[in-house]
Amino acid sequence: MKIPYGWVREFVDVKLSAQDAADRLVNAGVEVASVTPLLPEGLRGVIVGEVEAIERELGESRGHRLFLCRVRGRGAQRFSVVCGAPNTRAGVRAAFAPPGATLPGLGAVTAKKMHGLESQGILCSERELGLGEEHEAGLLLFDGDAAVGADVVKQLGLDDQVLDIEITPNRPDCLSVLGVARELAALTGAPLRPPPISLREGRQRAADLARVRVEAPDLCPRYTVRIIDGVRVAPSPAWMQSRLRAVGLRPISNVVDVTNYVLWELGHPLHAFDATRVADATIVVRRARPGERFITLDGQARTLDASMCVIADPERAIGLAGVMGGQNSEVTDATTRVLLESAYFDPGTTRRTSRALDLKTDAAYRFERGADIEGLLDASARTAQLMAELAGGVVARGVIDVYPRKRRPVRVRLRMARVKRVLGVAPPPAQARRILAGLGLGVRARGADLDVTVPSFRRDLAIEDDLVEEVIRVWGYDRIPTTFGRGTVALARDSDSGRQEQIVREALVGAGLTECVTYAFSDPARAGALGTSGALKLLNPLSQDASELRAHPLEGLLGVIATNLRRQQPGVRVFEICRTYKRALGGDTETTEPRWVALALAGARAEAAWHTPPAAADVYDAKGLAELVAGEFGLAPETRTGGKLSGFEPDSHATLLVAGQPLGEFGEVAATTREAFGIDVPVFAAALTLDEGVPPVRRTPRYRPLARFPAVQRDMAFALGERPVTADVIADAIRGEAGSLLRGLAVFDVFPLPDGRRSIAFRLTFQAEDRTLTDDEVNAIHARVAQRVCAALGLTLRGA
Amino acid sequence: MSHPRVEAVAGEARAAIDRAASSAELEGIRVKYLGRSGDLTQILKSLGALSPEERPQVGAAANEAKRELEALLDARLEATRAAERRRQRERERPDLTLPGRRPARGVVHPLSRVRDEIVTIFTGLGFSVAEGPEIETDAYNFEALNIPRDHPARDMQDTFYLSPETLLRTHTSPVQIRAMRLQKPPVRIICPGVVYRRDADITHSPMFHQVEGLAVDRDVTMADLKGTLDLFAREMFGPRSKIRFRPSFFPFTEPSAEVDVVCFLCAGAGCRVCTQSGWLEILGSGMVHPQVLKNVGYDPEEVTGWAFGMGVERIAMLKYGVDDIRLFFENDLRFLSQFA
Repeated sequence: MKIPYGWVREFVDVKLSAQDAADRLVNAGVEVASVTPLLPEGLRGVIVGEVEAIERELGESRGHRLFLCRVRGRGAQRFSVVCGAPNTRAGVRAAFAPPGATLPGLGAVTAKKMHGLESQGILCSERELGLGEEHEAGLLLFDGDAAVGADVVKQLGLDDQVLDIEITPNRPDCLSVLGVARELAALTGAPLRPPPISLREGRQRAADLARVRVEAPDLCPRYTVRIIDGVRVAPSPAWMQSRLRAVGLRPISNVVDVTNYVLWELGHPLHAFDATRVADATIVVRRARPGERFITLDGQARTLDASMCVIADPERAIGLAGVMGGQNSEVTDATTRVLLESAYFDPGTTRRTSRALDLKTDAAYRFERGADIEGLLDASARTAQLMAELAGGVVARGVIDVYPRKRRPVRVRLRMARVKRVLGVAPPPAQARRILAGLGLGVRARGADLDVTVPSFRRDLAIEDDLVEEVIRVWGYDRIPTTFGRGTVALARDSDSGRQEQIVREALVGAGLTECVTYAFSDPARAGALGTSGALKLLNPLSQDASELRAHPLEGLLGVIATNLRRQQPGVRVFEICRTYKRALGGDTETTEPRWVALALAGARAEAAWHTPPAAADVYDAKGLAELVAGEFGLAPETRTGGKLSGFEPDSHATLLVAGQPLGEFGEVAATTREAFGIDVPVFAAALTLDEGVPPVRRTPRYRPLARFPAVQRDMAFALGERPVTADVIADAIRGEAGSLLRGLAVFDVFPLPDGRRSIAFRLTFQAEDRTLTDDEVNAIHARVAQRVCAALGLTLRGA
Repeated sequence: MSHPRVEAVAGEARAAIDRAASSAELEGIRVKYLGRSGDLTQILKSLGALSPEERPQVGAAANEAKRELEALLDARLEATRAAERRRQRERERPDLTLPGRRPARGVVHPLSRVRDEIVTIFTGLGFSVAEGPEIETDAYNFEALNIPRDHPARDMQDTFYLSPETLLRTHTSPVQIRAMRLQKPPVRIICPGVVYRRDADITHSPMFHQVEGLAVDRDVTMADLKGTLDLFAREMFGPRSKIRFRPSFFPFTEPSAEVDVVCFLCAGAGCRVCTQSGWLEILGSGMVHPQVLKNVGYDPEEVTGWAFGMGVERIAMLKYGVDDIRLFFENDLRFLSQFA
């Protein structure tokens, strides 16, 4: 919200510079995003000029009639100026840039040939002055009492700074020039001088000119009307237009501009109806009818529902309460009698309506934060006063005020002991009292404590601790000391899952994998390629490709692989600790969030180096890394081919089991899946659960005595037959036959034989705890194992 | 004691040893003269054929020559072998400037790293870690935290909904509510976790990480909050770090404070990163709102509490000089590897 500092200083006599004032406000919790000069950069030397005479018409150019004007400047100066603005008339006073002046964007103004004539300067529009967008309406005009030759910077009050204020939702009272002035007064001790309200009322009574019926007092707790009769709608004076432009509003007409001006000045939204367009001069405040159609001021047709509140006459809606007026009752050039609304609308209703219709207005912004239900009468009177001053007309006597349930005064006791207890420090009671009174609160001392009456414009102050904050906010947060309190001694540590994740992270980073963090949002197209279904959907996603929640633990990593391969990484080895999200089957929550460690590998196994021949990652890398993680938790999983997770190649997909329970799965990602991610090389991946069966602690080692007698090794190679026999079956068979002297068993070679069969070689390590084994003893076991395993599994012993 | 026959052979052998250029050649000479059928050995073997007068003379001379030649050979061999080894090493000299064979090591994600740093500081101060679900109810995420429906404070946290009642948590504060409902004071916890807000630009990510802290006990004050955060800032950003409190508004704290830390790039002088202010906003905090304490069944006259919440990405961006939050989620290895 833009607030010109010069305007603020009309209401509070502070000597601070704009920047210093902004710093004070920031330190008291009123955020000032920027302080910028109001004067457009490059505007210099422009004066109030008078079009003395139109000397000649020069014909048309681009749809505009061109005139040669004689312009009077400072003293005896006269200029001959070509101008095509539609509001060029003899006698008007307008912004004039004589040769030597500079304009924003245009630079130095010089005498120039135009249509064969010399134009000595430029008569300026709002846009040419850099003050706004308006250009088509023509020259920026001044009142008759603007001195010819005066500098427009002075004339328009451009010699000012604008504070851009960002208000937290609890402080609607600061959404006005007066509100900011009140804060500054409280912070500096300078007296506050609210704008004087001096209303002269006519003889006719407002109550005789209009009626108000509030049928929905829950949505509209207070509604007031004043009537201003006999107005003449015209442009508002230059000073008011200038202020409205400074705060970012477009001047429209004196009647409408006054309502906006008072909105900025006092913070209360007002609306002016053309009273003659209100049927029976009767205002009915009611709920909208379901499906009721209504055209707002911006020309948009809106469909309403019964939760919304409308201002209506007996026939039709004429305004959307607290949000925007209607086209059918707006003030026009022909308006002579104004029905001025100043009301209080329910914040929640206003907010719902504004959001439902996607219609954000200055009025709705304030009503949804809470307007001042008592202050709205002053706003009404001030508006009526200014309207009568600027647009002529007579303010009818009295105000129609429908306010069935008066706001109950809010009184809060502030115990100074509480201040100390919450803050750890407290100002002297007299100081606290001064601070609260300075903010406009009613304060009475009561022993060591204060009885505080909260004014209607401070809706945010409801409980004692709210006042604690007011006291310290103004006294200064930098007065809070730094202490440590009395610590309660307790064992503090990371959570189970945090510790578990730490173990996983250390293991995989140590194994050369890089940790990733990906969005939990999922793209339905990619999730489809992964074969998942039943993903949780967001009602209001940011985009279609992020409209679901991750249902497959590998989705994020596949995206990472695609990104990095596209960016010329020869190999990608990554992992992620993540959650998937799904509807719960039974249980007391609707959803569950299983935790996973996912890992994926593609391309080169290691960076190209002089000492290592290049090799691509394969499925055994994925398996080995999964086993590494399991091993950190003391788990030694078995492998069973196949699995539940989708997205793997069926012939290269297996489950890791611990005590019959799945711990995770690994395999090669299905070609169709990775291609949907834009990956054209094989990807090997694994996903392990971090929920069930995985302890939050690293394996606790148990010491076993070291062997005292030497071990004996024997190798045993088999050629596999037609029947598919897997390595784990052979290994189990060997263990079963070899007996207790077998201490180690490893597959040390696998390769295809020339005849197409596969050779698999095991190394058996034998050792006894009580003696040195003899060759004969070992040879006998070796021969028996080889013979029995071959017979049982249909294998051929090689090299025998 | 020499003998012409012996001397002829020995002389020849000496000359050969002298000429020999390699250890192999020297070994050949040893075989030729001193081997089983070597020339000198032949002389010794044939002593029997000599006259008794000649025999001792030739024998003594031959034995002496043998000792002499063996010593000579050994000395030469040793020197030659040493030279040969030197030449060999010279030829095979390793190029120690070649890159070492370094075991591959991955990288912890910078967000994990910062999260762990924060957690470590606070566990050291006696805070335990608490966690909770990312999919939350409106009641836990908002209502229990004093943010009613249709309240403009909801604008501060634009929310992703799964249904009118369930949503992606917008902060980790619901974890605090859950923790307080489960235990009686004193409570000292920190809550790291993923949170979601419907917002995306170079400083806002629709998914980001938070760490929140909560202390509730008898006589916990805002001064304690300030002391704790002051210590945190010095641990996190260096011993010369300073913080300041600014009044602010959060529906679940009263009083509320934004916390700034002195810009560690310019030490408070003002620079581009701190937009010339000398301060960097790092977190929001305040005294737990009495209504929030009541909502979890605590008596605000009995206990007071403070809470704070910070964005892990924000801290990481400031600490590592990262200027686009999206980099954390893109996972470009060229980015991540910088945090090795």
